Amino acid sequence: MRIRTALLAATCAMIFAQPLGAKELLTIDLVNEPTTLDPHMQWNPDSYYVYRNIFDNIVTRDNDGKIVPQVAESWEQISDTELALTIREGIKFHDGSDLTAEDVAFSVKRIIDPEFASPQLGQFNKITDARVEGDNKVVLVTDGPYPALLAQLVKLSVVPKAVVEEAGKDGFNANPVGSGPYKFGEQQRGVSVTLVRNDDYWGEKGEFEEAVFRAVPDAATRVANLKAGTSDLVVSLDSDLALQLENDPQVQLLTALTERVGFMGINTTREPLDDPELRKALAMAIDREGIVEGILGGGEKVVSQMATSAHFGYVEGIEPIPYDPEQAKQIVEAAGDAAKTKMEFATAPVFDQRIVQAIQQMLNDVGFNVEINMSDMATYLKTVQQPEQGSRPYLSFGRWSCACQDVDGVLFPLLHSGSNWSRVSSETIDEALETGRSSLDEQERLDAYKTVHQLVHDETLILPLYQAAALYGGAAELEWEPTANESLFLNRMSWKEQE
Amino acid sequence: MVVFLAKRAGQALVAIFGVMTLVFFIQRLTGDPTYLLVPETATQEDIEAMRQSLGLDRPLLVQYLSFLADIVRFDLGRSFIQNIPVTDIVASRLPYTLQLAGGALFVAFVIGLPIGLILALARKYKSSNILMGVVLAAQSLPTFWSGILMIMVFGVWLGWLPPSGSGTFAHLIMPSIALGLLSMATYARIARSSVLDELSKDYVRSARARGVPQGRLVRRHLLRNSVIPVISITALEISQLLAGAVIVETVFAWPGLGLLTVQSVVARDFVVVQGVVLLGAFVTIAVNFIADILYSVVDPRIRLDGAGQ
Repeated sequence: MRIRTALLAATCAMIFAQPLGAKELLTIDLVNEPTTLDPHMQWNPDSYYVYRNIFDNIVTRDNDGKIVPQVAESWEQISDTELALTIREGIKFHDGSDLTAEDVAFSVKRIIDPEFASPQLGQFNKITDARVEGDNKVVLVTDGPYPALLAQLVKLSVVPKAVVEEAGKDGFNANPVGSGPYKFGEQQRGVSVTLVRNDDYWGEKGEFEEAVFRAVPDAATRVANLKAGTSDLVVSLDSDLALQLENDPQVQLLTALTERVGFMGINTTREPLDDPELRKALAMAIDREGIVEGILGGGEKVVSQMATSAHFGYVEGIEPIPYDPEQAKQIVEAAGDAAKTKMEFATAPVFDQRIVQAIQQMLNDVGFNVEINMSDMATYLKTVQQPEQGSRPYLSFGRWSCACQDVDGVLFPLLHSGSNWSRVSSETIDEALETGRSSLDEQERLDAYKTVHQLVHDETLILPLYQAAALYGGAAELEWEPTANESLFLNRMSWKEQE
Repeated sequence: MVVFLAKRAGQALVAIFGVMTLVFFIQRLTGDPTYLLVPETATQEDIEAMRQSLGLDRPLLVQYLSFLADIVRFDLGRSFIQNIPVTDIVASRLPYTLQLAGGALFVAFVIGLPIGLILALARKYKSSNILMGVVLAAQSLPTFWSGILMIMVFGVWLGWLPPSGSGTFAHLIMPSIALGLLSMATYARIARSSVLDELSKDYVRSARARGVPQGRLVRRHLLRNSVIPVISITALEISQLLAGAVIVETVFAWPGLGLLTVQSVVARDFVVVQGVVLLGAFVTIAVNFIADILYSVVDPRIRLDGAGQ
């Protein structure tokens, strides 16, 4: 009797542990194919989505955004410019070899080598050296105190030295070998990349045996694939398409507030925008609630600073300048002819033109003379990064993410007078940003960023508009929590059959 | 014949050279790809370093000459973005485009030609105009719209065909129809006017007088003689299809050269665009060349060396 009960219990346990028809293949529709699978060679989202499953990074972020160990088991700041990493033992690359401190040091040196010309160089060029010490220790050396280092190491993937050296740049890109939860399977150019589960993974294993990432450029087609059941997860939807998912029980809309901030850039060095009163009128004229509720409607949030709660350096208690078109009108009238200057508003097709047009309308309604200057992305980027600060556009629309969740990556490039994007010249801001970038004391950094946020607010140096949301469509059975850093970690997804 | 071939080959070379030169300079006028290749946070030094590593910091003329030198050595360069040889990228995408163009031509033929023939033979009936109207309406639908409509109906609601992608014959059906619709009406019209033209000729009248049955007349004489304009129009249609493929391939996520071109233009991947355009120019010229030869096969009165004209 006992044996029968035990057998019955065991059978039940097996049935529950392995649901009937467990999902083996997960199909994900991206916009484009990954441009490269070598994690040191590119920076675009379609490549990130795929290769982050093949490689482990030095550290990673959990779903709440906290930096947690990955290849580095622990770390210690041993001096102002040295960070010692203890490398986890027992990690194996997909070819069976051990991941060692040598591999970690090699990976760091590879990405900071100017000869290698990684497009990500700018994110890591404060690192000057990586030394192996003992069996499992690597010391990273920076050219000065660098508090955002760990936040950047979230994006630094570890590659196997021996394989890279033997395969060469092209060979490794064609057949990448990592230590992550999924192995590279095959790539069909222009079509798809297939990953296969790494059953020997040291950490949390994936539920799906295989995953296929496909390139489907048209968003309406991605939604059709999802509704037809030929894909399980699709990325990059807008609020109109998201509406199509609402009444279909087979699919679900998955959203997350990201670390991306929609903003209007203002050239404070150019007449008439060098007048703080007029800049304030810009802010008063724009109905940000209206933009978020009426146009976007995908769960976005109005922000009052160039940061979100997902960033280190976000400061509580800064209130947005209230929407007050009447007062804006009065300021503009009082400014007389100066306010009538024709001001170009630079934008590119990748940004939501409904917002750009609404802003132009709102500004012209209070008496400004704003003209939209729409160009392709390459030209837009060139225009806003003109070498001469004074020739950068009067106004521009943009969405910013440093993919590092640290405001240094947002405020420094947008506001430091020496940076490409900045249209602000303020010694106070420059000093505060430099302190924020070089102090290892968290409180000191926070104080510095508070100064910046407050000045940006009081003088309207740049106009933060909203925290962007990422919209995904998923099959109803998919269980997954999207995160602020817009990653697709397969080993954090699971499948629950509907009853 | 030899003179003709040599002349045409010479013209082809000049044409390809002209196209390449135009594409090279027009692309460079449209903007600097470097900004798209580095993260937004990149410093001016990063941007300069990237520009140097791509060779875009060199004077335009130097870039152009080295580009020509590479072409002569059959080196199409490496993609700025994917960092692999352009020949590999093009070679992986070409088969898809050929499949799609073949499918579309087939659709256009099997629908367009019979409709043209029916329209010509039934010209006395007013109702034949309705058929032509339907054909024209089908051709006038914007491809992105008819494509999405087909995806919704056959892919999502009925579930008969995969909504997008490639790999099986089923994947090819919807994109072929969407693209074939563009050419179908052209074929119908050409076939109609060409058959009408033949019908008015003496040999048809005398054949009819001899009592040759209609079916045989159509098969033996009309079709054969009406086919010449169809051949020449096919040469033109192939270039048209390559252009139409841009939209169809985007909507159906069909990984051919059309989609590759759009993606490369948007990403300012000059080298890939150059490769695709070179191939496109080559195909267009080759197709026209083959069409010329086919004329002479179908109608020996047309001679290739131009003598006797």
